[in-house]
Amino acid sequence: MTHSLHREGSVDSLERDYTVFIYPARGYNYKGCATKVRHLVEIVYQVGPANMIATTLRENMYSGVRPEEVLDSIRDGCRVFTVFNSREKIRELLVKFKEADEGISIVVSGLIDRVRDIAAEVGLNPHTINLSLGIHGGTHRLPPADVRQFTTMCGHAMVAPKLVEEVIGKIKTAKLDSWQGSLVLAKPCACGIYNPHRSQEMLEEVVPLYTVSRW
Amino acid sequence: MIVHKEICVGCGRCQPYCPAGAIHFEDRKSAVDQDACFECGTCLRTGICPVDAFREPPQVFAYPRALRKYFSDPTSTHSVTGIQGRGTEESKTNDVTLRCGPGEVGVSIEIGRPTLGMDLHDIQKITRALAASGIHEMEPNNPIHSMILDHRTGELKPELLNERVLSAIIEMQIPREKLAGMLQTIKKVIPELDSVFTLDVVTLLEEGLTIPDEVLATIAAEGFTWRPNAKINMGLGRVADEERI
Repeated sequence: MTHSLHREGSVDSLERDYTVFIYPARGYNYKGCATKVRHLVEIVYQVGPANMIATTLRENMYSGVRPEEVLDSIRDGCRVFTVFNSREKIRELLVKFKEADEGISIVVSGLIDRVRDIAAEVGLNPHTINLSLGIHGGTHRLPPADVRQFTTMCGHAMVAPKLVEEVIGKIKTAKLDSWQGSLVLAKPCACGIYNPHRSQEMLEEVVPLYTVSRW
Repeated sequence: MIVHKEICVGCGRCQPYCPAGAIHFEDRKSAVDQDACFECGTCLRTGICPVDAFREPPQVFAYPRALRKYFSDPTSTHSVTGIQGRGTEESKTNDVTLRCGPGEVGVSIEIGRPTLGMDLHDIQKITRALAASGIHEMEPNNPIHSMILDHRTGELKPELLNERVLSAIIEMQIPREKLAGMLQTIKKVIPELDSVFTLDVVTLLEEGLTIPDEVLATIAAEGFTWRPNAKINMGLGRVADEERI
């Protein structure tokens, strides 16, 4: 399960973080869905995602893959995972998806109140919600919250806490800037919903709070 | 995953990339702790090794170790275990499938997430507790269903118990009136767990993205709170003409 509902961080930061899934349903609208999914991905590109992956290619936006390669890869059953970094963009996307009316399930993860407002503005009536009731169990073993706000941006936990600490250290010692550091963190994410724009903002916030033991 | 020691130059670049923290120096070369490794493939997939020293040996796909890969590598598909992937479409396609219908809630317990991973004993602690409470509505399309030896007791197949995976999801659809009992059961088992889990509740929405009061009241009454962000199915899906019977 892509953990998009468990993304951590401040509400202010989550205001600029909306993941979107384009998700055909096996046995219901799977056969012949490639054309519809391709059309929806064309719309995603028009609006301008912060990151994206199609399951038929598994290369995120920062891997050097070209949009034509992603579009050409799309076959029946292809699912698409993408993320947008502004309320305006997600609104524009949903307006265009509604007009396109391709009949493929669209899932948005974000602040409930914001998605409610946007849905009302666009004239959509959301169907189902998956609520996060948080983390339980041996929570004392978890890395600190300021590290988790990065690691939970990968829907499959492929961004390691140690990598976050290493990137913070490299920015602190001027070996990377905050955007380059964000792209390092986005690289392991195989589900394409690591938002490097949000990550850059968060790095700029946390880096001054850390010290390094050697240069 | 293994590191070919004759190829590795001991630069250590790969080590921070490992979500399990399983790569360490051994005789000035990087080595993978086979017990800790989830077989998620991140070290290989990122191409971080400058000399291509990582290899995925055939035993990665041997039962029961294969479970590690199928539950931890998001790019993998099941083959030898007979287990169908890691999870299901859950709420993502509910506007089309209506798997979670009126008067029902879906509950997902994802053990090992975020970050920590777990051995399968933790799953068994939860499946046992649920079975003892008379909760048997395990999602049949979720791979955990086929890992359970005895659904009356929640016992897992014993050969699986020492495997470690990044996470696994216990998924259920239950009538709304059973939600309180299920949350009580989950609360009781929390102190027994070594790892962590995330807890989700899926429900149909009312007009205007309104979450049913009954569901929120039950969650609050059992001492749980919900995060301000959620996964929301926007209701744009429908059954395709090609697949209508």
